[in-house]
Amino acid sequence: MITWGGPIWLYLWLAGMAGGAYFAAFLVDRFMGGTQKALLRLATYVGLPFAVIGVLLLIVDLGVPIRFWHLLVQFDVVSAMSLGTWILFVWVGAAVIMGILWNADRFISIEGARPAFALITNVLSWIAFIFAALLMTYTGVLLASSNQPLWAGTVLLPCLFVASAVSTGVAAVLITAIVRRDETISRRTIARLTEADAVVIVIEMAILISFAIWLGVSAMGGAAEGLKILTIGALAPAFWVGVVLLALLIPLGLELRSWGKEIRGRATWLAVVVPSVCVLLGGLTLRAVIVVGGQM
Amino acid sequence: MAKAALVDFSKCTGCRGCQVACKSWNDHLAEETQNEGTYENPPELSASTWTRIEFYEFGNNGEVQWYFRKAQCMHCTNASCEAVCPSGAISHQGGVVIIDQDICIGCGYCVMACPFDAVHNEPPRGTARKCWFCMDRVSNGYEPACVSTCPTGAIKFGERAELLTIAHARVNSLKSNGHPNARLYGENEMGGLQWLYIIDGRPSEFGLPESPQLATHALASQWVGGIITAGVLAAIPFWLLFRRRRELEESSRVGGE
Repeated sequence: MITWGGPIWLYLWLAGMAGGAYFAAFLVDRFMGGTQKALLRLATYVGLPFAVIGVLLLIVDLGVPIRFWHLLVQFDVVSAMSLGTWILFVWVGAAVIMGILWNADRFISIEGARPAFALITNVLSWIAFIFAALLMTYTGVLLASSNQPLWAGTVLLPCLFVASAVSTGVAAVLITAIVRRDETISRRTIARLTEADAVVIVIEMAILISFAIWLGVSAMGGAAEGLKILTIGALAPAFWVGVVLLALLIPLGLELRSWGKEIRGRATWLAVVVPSVCVLLGGLTLRAVIVVGGQM
Repeated sequence: MAKAALVDFSKCTGCRGCQVACKSWNDHLAEETQNEGTYENPPELSASTWTRIEFYEFGNNGEVQWYFRKAQCMHCTNASCEAVCPSGAISHQGGVVIIDQDICIGCGYCVMACPFDAVHNEPPRGTARKCWFCMDRVSNGYEPACVSTCPTGAIKFGERAELLTIAHARVNSLKSNGHPNARLYGENEMGGLQWLYIIDGRPSEFGLPESPQLATHALASQWVGGIITAGVLAAIPFWLLFRRRRELEESSRVGGE
């Protein structure tokens, strides 16, 4: 019987993507000397609705949705779900406040308070960065701290979900920037982000291979059977097409093809949009096959 | 002193009186099931089937051996369900693991965490439900319903320490009477179970995990693994690609001046 169904894997995908988008944009901005604030804002605005929709899905999926507030009167560091609720709460809170402060001058005059606003958003951006990393990790720990062999047979599931979260987060930011024709984000930054995603995918592939090998030799009863369900069992078509091809090989091939080149005009679609769409669909499939496969 | 139950599979006839007694005492309706070629029914534990007899058969020296195992919540001392519960609904009361039905939110995390697949939260109630060791009976000096109905004495109820003494004696007796694989399951597993089993073979032959683990036993390494991955991704590719690009842009600007 499947206890955790569609709302859960959708939630894990959305929450991971929200954290990954912010995580990547924050790093780009910091490493570029604070010159990529537009990218950071875009990632925040992309991630925020994802996180909120994810939370709504989680609430709807509860056996007794009206009691969701019980999560907010309990703090338990050993329960990944309890800790994750607070991580999500803090990240969404920081993102909302940053969004308000970034747009405050549209509604009120903040001339005198500008330095204070800048200081507060700077502190909040660091808090949001730390909690974005925790948010990505939590989506994997939630599953791994269980007794389902596919999830708990190794400690690599959080690593896999973190890599996938960064890849899907970058993909979501890239698609949004291209579709909105956002001129504040330079073509160079977009090109380097696709290169960064290619490297993330290589790391994700290495983790996935290690995850599979570890499952195969895991001492936990049922772990090898879990691997078989993914690779040669009922979920094999979704795993090989959805995860291996869509999330990894196709986007990696397209991104390597445009490595080191400036991306302009029609080439943008093949070099950025198509691989990003593949990454998003592949990331969703990864969550689906892992969540469902763990309960088979 | 903690109460416990001891099941001696060598005495169980698979009559399933315990199943009926559990359903009856806890006001659980029968489930509509399909005949799958065995009298083992219902096919699995659920939110309204808190105990059931599982049928096992395997070869032993050219003979087919039949065994029956009474499955239910094992009431672990180190309970995974309690460890992962995000709402604080699950607690121990005198060794018995209880789910507070007024606090449970029905998230299903305990269902995923239980190594014995003994917790379920199907509709219409939505909350997680399982064997509660008939706390209403036990607190009034009675045995759990399943124990009181067992016609062969396969289930004994009492103080855990006393049951362990009985169990060890019974295992020794079985071993010296042609059952060299007889063993006690539950004395130390998960910090000690309140349901103790005398089995004649490997735990996995009776559908039991060989070495059940607390769901949160690797929690620290899981968090650390995720954070390290985030750190590696921050360095490769982001630091390498974007820091280098900034330095290149700065050096070309200085060179141009």
